[in-house]
Amino acid sequence: MTLKTLGCLTLVAAVAAGSVPAAAQGPIRIGASLSLTGTYAEPGRFQSEGYKLCEKDLNAKGGLLGRKVEFVVYDDQSRPDTGIRVYEKLITEDKVDAVMGPYSSAISEAVANVTEKYRKVMVAPLAATTSIFKKGRRYIFMIVSPAEVYLEGLVDIAARRGYKTIAIVNEDTLFPKASAQGTEELARKAGLKVVFKEAYPKGNQDFSGLLTKLKAANPDVVAAGTYFDDAVALARQMKELDVNPKMVGVTVGGDIPKFQDMLKQTAEYIYGSSQWEPTLPYPGAREFHDAYEKEFKHEPSYHAAAGYSGCMVYAEAVKKAGGLDSEKVREALLGLKLRTMFGDFQVDKDGAQVAHKAVLLQWQEGKRVVVWPDELANGKPRFPR
Amino acid sequence: MNAVVLTPAMVGQVIISGILAGALYAMVALGLALIFGVMRVINVAHGPLLMLGAYGTYFLWQATGVNPYYTLPVTMAALFLVGVLLQRTLVFRVVDAPELSSLLLTFGISIALVNLAQLAFTSDLRAVEFLTASFRVGPFALSKSRLVAFLVAAVITAGAFLFLQRSRLGKAIRATSQSREVALVCGIDVPRIHLLTFGLASALAAAGGTLIAVIVAIQPDMGQVWTFKSFLVIVLGGAGNYPGALVGGLLLGLVEQLASLFLTTQLSEAVAYVLLVLVLLVRPTGLLGGRQT
Repeated sequence: MTLKTLGCLTLVAAVAAGSVPAAAQGPIRIGASLSLTGTYAEPGRFQSEGYKLCEKDLNAKGGLLGRKVEFVVYDDQSRPDTGIRVYEKLITEDKVDAVMGPYSSAISEAVANVTEKYRKVMVAPLAATTSIFKKGRRYIFMIVSPAEVYLEGLVDIAARRGYKTIAIVNEDTLFPKASAQGTEELARKAGLKVVFKEAYPKGNQDFSGLLTKLKAANPDVVAAGTYFDDAVALARQMKELDVNPKMVGVTVGGDIPKFQDMLKQTAEYIYGSSQWEPTLPYPGAREFHDAYEKEFKHEPSYHAAAGYSGCMVYAEAVKKAGGLDSEKVREALLGLKLRTMFGDFQVDKDGAQVAHKAVLLQWQEGKRVVVWPDELANGKPRFPR
Repeated sequence: MNAVVLTPAMVGQVIISGILAGALYAMVALGLALIFGVMRVINVAHGPLLMLGAYGTYFLWQATGVNPYYTLPVTMAALFLVGVLLQRTLVFRVVDAPELSSLLLTFGISIALVNLAQLAFTSDLRAVEFLTASFRVGPFALSKSRLVAFLVAAVITAGAFLFLQRSRLGKAIRATSQSREVALVCGIDVPRIHLLTFGLASALAAAGGTLIAVIVAIQPDMGQVWTFKSFLVIVLGGAGNYPGALVGGLLLGLVEQLASLFLTTQLSEAVAYVLLVLVLLVRPTGLLGGRQT
């Protein structure tokens, strides 16, 4: 008690003196749960590395509010229930100073109830489903563009090319479902007919029945609301079952370098939605890519960039607020307008992202090529045969 | 919206898929059935052993670039030894204990194996890109890797049955599973039979792992679902009844595939478990009856 009082007094004295010496206080500890194992491990670990690089870069520039930044990360095994326990523990037992979001919409949705309960601001860099931010929550903030428009580019290219039919499949969880619904609406507006639609359970590995039906529906375009594992399995099994639509697009997975490493020729022509590419003309995008590659010995995916950017956005808001107080940081985030290496950041009054833009890329000769939108594209879409 | 009209060709396609998958289920489940039949132990670690087999194939293929199917004898032999080791150090302690003890023990082994694999191999998704295309036979697409898996599984399963039916050791295994006491009196070295059984079962899991590694991407927790499937198969066919594993495997493969065609992919798993409940209600001993061999 006396120690705390003493520390408090020191702080007051230091603030009065106009500067907080870094040594006077411990680090700012930021807690997060991430999917380091399980179905979402692939993107989850990219996000984790994004946080790590942000921590390093912040500390290299003297930390935040003059204090060092330290991430406390636990594995949630890609499970919402574990995520809930992790945030409870982070906030009540570890008593972290701040939190950052987990991977995936489903887990963000689950843990948002915990962070709201304790009035913790949570920038959730990889929660793309709009509904999460439209439930009257006060302290959660969105970084990426919404799930509903992940495959806007796919639909747009298809419509411009005069294709008529589309099949939509998705994992039956929050984000893929929202992106499937969004894609369906976009497709209808663009005049495409939805000839087949089916969801499959999380962790599904056998798509024979689904693809047999899809093949019979003979769509020009296949849009899939996926994560990484299922995107890989779908691509492989489409080839096995000789399903050859003119365009195939996936929401998550197609952007990850390993997609091509694993699938080789099978990845060719497949479209992937991406929230970020190193080739995009954002300030510091290329530098981030190079620093990341140097640090972790592999290329970053958009999940890594979103994690990094989300952490930087949070740091910016803390600086603007001049402290970690939830209300003040919240106000700062609501008023923030930024262009980072990840693109634009601006949220509406609910914390939902309104400025960031997604792109569509395609695997061409083993390389990711941005093919949509035109103003950001560095290549043209290619079509099989 | 789903204006897909089911044609006989589509039904044929999923029946083919079902049979191809079913043979694999049967082979893997036979391992579980063997252990249960001989020791009354439900080996929850069966799936994780399969996972080890899959990783064995992946790493051998990565390191040497050989045809991944050539790794089959290596993974089977390696997992045979792992199985023997597990039996020798851990499982033998629970053979005569209540079934809950063996469940707890093998559950513990399962968790340990999955977590060790996560540490050693990381949870990176890995794939053996080999035989990715398919044969076209009339209106049907026959996935090459699944076809090979079917053929190899069929041969191995037939071999295992032949071994159990004809060889002295196989007969000893069956005798032990019928009555341990009588087997003991007849001069069968029961602990040795237990070692052999666990080794054989693990080798069957390894074979499954090798074949599956070429079909789907692998990761440390890929095994659990195979434990469940194998369990389903042996309950359907009759726990401890070896030919029952064959019937159960094919049945599960077909039911899953047909359900995903006529219903949805989401319901297909549910249908398999509904079938399990029905079998337990109507024929609690399984379709072919319990543990006579």
